[in-house]
Amino acid sequence: MAGRSQLPVQIMEDQTRFDLNAAIDNWRNELAAQPNLAPDDRRELETHLRDAIAGFQQRGLNDEESFWLARRRVGQPPELVEEFVKTNPAAIWRERMFWMCLAIFLSNTLGSIARSVTFALMPVNGRSSFQMTMQIIIISLASLIPVILAVSLAKGKMVSQFSKLTLFVENRLRLAITAFLCVAISSSIWIMALARITRSDFPSSIMPGSTSALYPLIIALLLVWLMPPQNRKTPKTPKRA
Amino acid sequence: MYKTAMLTKDLVAASSKPLLLSILAGGESYGYEIIQKVRELSGGQIEWSDGMLYPVLHRLERDGLIESEWKEADTGRERKYYFLSSGGRKALKTERQQWLAVHNSLCKLWKIKPASI
Repeated sequence: MAGRSQLPVQIMEDQTRFDLNAAIDNWRNELAAQPNLAPDDRRELETHLRDAIAGFQQRGLNDEESFWLARRRVGQPPELVEEFVKTNPAAIWRERMFWMCLAIFLSNTLGSIARSVTFALMPVNGRSSFQMTMQIIIISLASLIPVILAVSLAKGKMVSQFSKLTLFVENRLRLAITAFLCVAISSSIWIMALARITRSDFPSSIMPGSTSALYPLIIALLLVWLMPPQNRKTPKTPKRA
Repeated sequence: MYKTAMLTKDLVAASSKPLLLSILAGGESYGYEIIQKVRELSGGQIEWSDGMLYPVLHRLERDGLIESEWKEADTGRERKYYFLSSGGRKALKTERQQWLAVHNSLCKLWKIKPASI
């Protein structure tokens, strides 16, 4: 191998054991997998990584050492994103939208359940004006439960009880399952109530009843999509036997 | 000689703005170079993590104190260069007065000669 040029660029191309370009590609892909990071931010971080690698190479380190040191310096993609997110207005709004959608979703689900239950409990024909008033009050109160809960949380009450509920929404998958279960339960109750009101058999109420699930379903999808990046407080346990 | 400690997290955060504005007052620069410069200036006492620098730069940019531009460097690769805006120059003046006020007060208390302004 005598006479081979030792220019860093040359080494980069000739490397057989450690492919620097492939390593940078991998790193870039890992970064691209992180939501909430603008393409411009990614490009900037990549130039930084390349600068850092070149800096280590100039000090006489080989490609592999330079890459790993530079990678460590720049930071792990999930942690990096956390830092970026703090100052990214889009991400801040994304989180606000998440909470807004959560409130709409809960309000809608509880309101819908209250509506179904009141319809099911009251006489189908000849409801008195008092019964109708009561029905509206019950539906309104049920829809207001999320707001009442939010206020009590904002006042610092029941925080510990609520932190247990995070079990259901810990990650995207659990949130999706919980949200779709809520939609399924509230729609089935509504379908049953509808069957009673219209005095039709259960199967013929399925079509009109399930269309009312469209709105909560869209909100549920939005919720799952808007969910902020996972908390690092719960570290992933490596699954190695 | 005793080993000088690294700057605390709070101080790193507080001093990042005047440091960045002052560095960019000396001419445009990019992330990697800025970190090297800070390390050099402080004799290694101020160690900025690479990932933390960009959010701070982006915040200063949003506040209108600095501006940025992608430009081709000597190496042929493009880099995002940051430079001071006129608003940044004004902000630097204020920062300078405030930091010197703190510095001079401490100097008087510790009975050492304050830096010349």
